Amino acid sequence: MSQPAGSKTHNEERLFLSIALIVALVFGTGFCFLIFSLKSREKVAGNSPPQLIAPDHPRRLADFSLTDRTGRMVTQAELDHKILVVDFLFTSCSLTCPAVNRCMAQVQQLTTNQLDVRLISLTVDSRDDTPEVLAKYGARFGADTNRWLLLTGAKPALYGLIATTFLAPDLNDPFTSMPGNFSHTDRIALVDAAGNVRGYFDGLNPNTAAAVVAEINLLRK
Amino acid sequence: MVLLFAVAGCKPKPAAPDTGPAQVKFYAAHGVIRQIAADRHSATIQHEAIAGYMPAMTMEFSVKDTNELNGIAPADEITFKLAVGESEDWIEAIRFESHRIEDVTNGVVMVHETTPELKAGDLLPDCELTDENGDRIRFSDFRGRALAFTFFFTRCPLPDYCPRMCKNFAETRQLLLNMPDAPTNWQFLSISFDPDFDRPEMLAGYAKFFRDNNPYRWRFAAASTNAIARLAPQLDLMVVRDDTGISHNLRTVVLDPQGRIAHQFDGNAWSPRMLADALLSAVRGQTNSTAP
Repeated sequence: MSQPAGSKTHNEERLFLSIALIVALVFGTGFCFLIFSLKSREKVAGNSPPQLIAPDHPRRLADFSLTDRTGRMVTQAELDHKILVVDFLFTSCSLTCPAVNRCMAQVQQLTTNQLDVRLISLTVDSRDDTPEVLAKYGARFGADTNRWLLLTGAKPALYGLIATTFLAPDLNDPFTSMPGNFSHTDRIALVDAAGNVRGYFDGLNPNTAAAVVAEINLLRK
Repeated sequence: MVLLFAVAGCKPKPAAPDTGPAQVKFYAAHGVIRQIAADRHSATIQHEAIAGYMPAMTMEFSVKDTNELNGIAPADEITFKLAVGESEDWIEAIRFESHRIEDVTNGVVMVHETTPELKAGDLLPDCELTDENGDRIRFSDFRGRALAFTFFFTRCPLPDYCPRMCKNFAETRQLLLNMPDAPTNWQFLSISFDPDFDRPEMLAGYAKFFRDNNPYRWRFAAASTNAIARLAPQLDLMVVRDDTGISHNLRTVVLDPQGRIAHQFDGNAWSPRMLADALLSAVRGQTNSTAP
């Protein structure tokens, strides 16, 4: 077991080098990983302006008669010549709906004095989402009663409007689609002043509010 | 058809067949269940033409994983994949689409889909669930008792939602047990819509907590994806699942001893006292047809 003295120093040197190498590797990898994760986060959150998604076929705002959170009847007639920003929700939805409605709140804020813009939220759960429940939900997001309408009604009327004007059916796993079997319920739809569905934005993208406002400005030109 | 493959892709693929080299071809298919064998290892399906493989016909197919048939019943319209190996074939990725009622009037067969929303007085179509012991149970197992059932999942983090439902059930049961001369033909059933995570042992552990170690007249079970697909439209149940969790509304239903809907409680703004009253009315055969 005994070793010459010279070899011992050599061993210590080697040990030091190995430790240095391991430290360098660990930190180096960690650093690379940090940069990588920052970059990929930037990719998700920062650098990807949401794109306008075209409707699957030409879609127009259908006639409807629904009830808003104050109990008032709302028809498509009062939305004539208005630009509409529309989302879909059920108030007990805890995954995507709050994020999409925070985005709607941003749009409301960014369009404060633009009287030709209305925000519309359509519930898919009319049994739970009575006008009173929607009133509470609207208050949570600071929805202005005059500019942001949260609408409910009989299920056939609600589902009929959503299916006709906004969303295609989802033929997927029943677990992944919003009730009513609609696809892409986390999108925010934009309807121009002539009643044509201009397209959709991803309601979960943090830059969607700005993109919606930019698209609204384009519509006015 | 491409879509069907995409749907089927959600299920983990089984290991390659144990006989012969793993040269298995998959064909997307669509049809109506006619019969399910007692051992659940085969099902007779009236299917449409299977593109690239066979014309439309009614035939018996092998089912390797009997769990595939959970929540599936005769007259269900389904999509499935036909797997064809060198020496065997079977079906998998069975997905419930809708239940069909076929009326034969004047020799004309009228087929229509039936997934209507149920109202007080309507009979709840039977459905299969897997309980905390791993046993297959059905709503009809509880005929003769008024049955209160609700939905939850054990990972549900919001106190106002699933835990509140379970707490309300616990208190309602206690009310009934404490009531002098109360009828005893009632039953509670808590149904999870997270069948992959809420395996029987998980349910049993969760149940133990809320039942205070007393399982009397309170069963826990999980509904398969197919069972949820069947129940959701009937009960106006909303379930959205993604990889971060499950969004859902709350539906609590009371069935009378004949299995008809006596009362439905939407949301969480109901009390144990209200549920106890609804159960007692259901036992006495009073159906609340003005239920919200």
